[in-house]
Amino acid sequence: MKPLISKGIRLGGICAVLGILAARPAEAQALRVNGGSITLTMTTGVAGATLVDVQNTTCTLRYRRQSRISKITVSTSCPGQKFALRVLATNVSDGVAAPEVTLQDGNPSIDLVTSIPTSGFRNGNCTLRYTVSATFEDGNSTELGNDVHSVSYTLQAQ
Amino acid sequence: MTQNRLTSRISVGTALVLLTVLFPPFCRAQVYGTGSHTVTIIVQPISTIRTNIGAVNMSITGANAVAGVDAMSVSDQTTTLLWGTNSSLQKIVVNSSLVSPLYTLKLLAVGLTSGAASGEVILSGSAQDFVLNIGRTSGSCALRYTAVALASQGTGSDLHAITFTIQTQ
Repeated sequence: MKPLISKGIRLGGICAVLGILAARPAEAQALRVNGGSITLTMTTGVAGATLVDVQNTTCTLRYRRQSRISKITVSTSCPGQKFALRVLATNVSDGVAAPEVTLQDGNPSIDLVTSIPTSGFRNGNCTLRYTVSATFEDGNSTELGNDVHSVSYTLQAQ
Repeated sequence: MTQNRLTSRISVGTALVLLTVLFPPFCRAQVYGTGSHTVTIIVQPISTIRTNIGAVNMSITGANAVAGVDAMSVSDQTTTLLWGTNSSLQKIVVNSSLVSPLYTLKLLAVGLTSGAASGEVILSGSAQDFVLNIGRTSGSCALRYTAVALASQGTGSDLHAITFTIQTQ
């Protein structure tokens, strides 16, 4: 009886490891952030008003159509966040861009692209437009430190 | 527990694991893929200041004179000063390009939306405190210029280029 249980556990363990190994490459291909890490620097302000927003559009998302209608959500981790960061998907080839998303540390994932169609082994693309906003009251990085966001995108069934 | 029941349980477990291997999305809340990257935001120290109009002209004429009084004066309060700074503990100083003016020109901040006026200053070539305690704010005030001339100084004109600067307090 014992050898039978041990054999089952061993087999299960091997299968679990294989499952993890098999699943990773599939996910890596299903969604990819191109463009690497980016830095947005605010340098100017308007007297009597606020700082001038800064945008970056150098990063893109590449995603694969799935067997079900899917969507892409976004969330961020930025402990001690001080400045406002928003992201909008532009030039969406497959799916529908959601309204611009405000990225706030700790908030749940928010839709970025929805209604990504099924059928066909085809990749979709979109451009990520990041916008940073700040007020004079928010202070500066020299005194308070930079905001470092780890922005995560998830392709999932809708 | 019989061997058949054990075999059955192990088979069910193995089947579930195989399902994980073959159909990972079904076992992961239908997540097909994830990706992430780092976005760093740097906000540099920014201080900016301006006036809403570029030039002020003040003329002292006979209308400003009072018989028997040597000093004649005229005031102007048409200019607004606007600023913003995202640094803490800042102040505004003011100075004139005219090191040795013929006549006295005074300046006072009126109706401050933030900070504290340091009182009326007599403009000179040296920077003088004008508004204090403006750290990490945007604000504005009206500029009240007062030009004073003595009858004994005769006629003439002064041309000031007035500079406002935000600096650490």
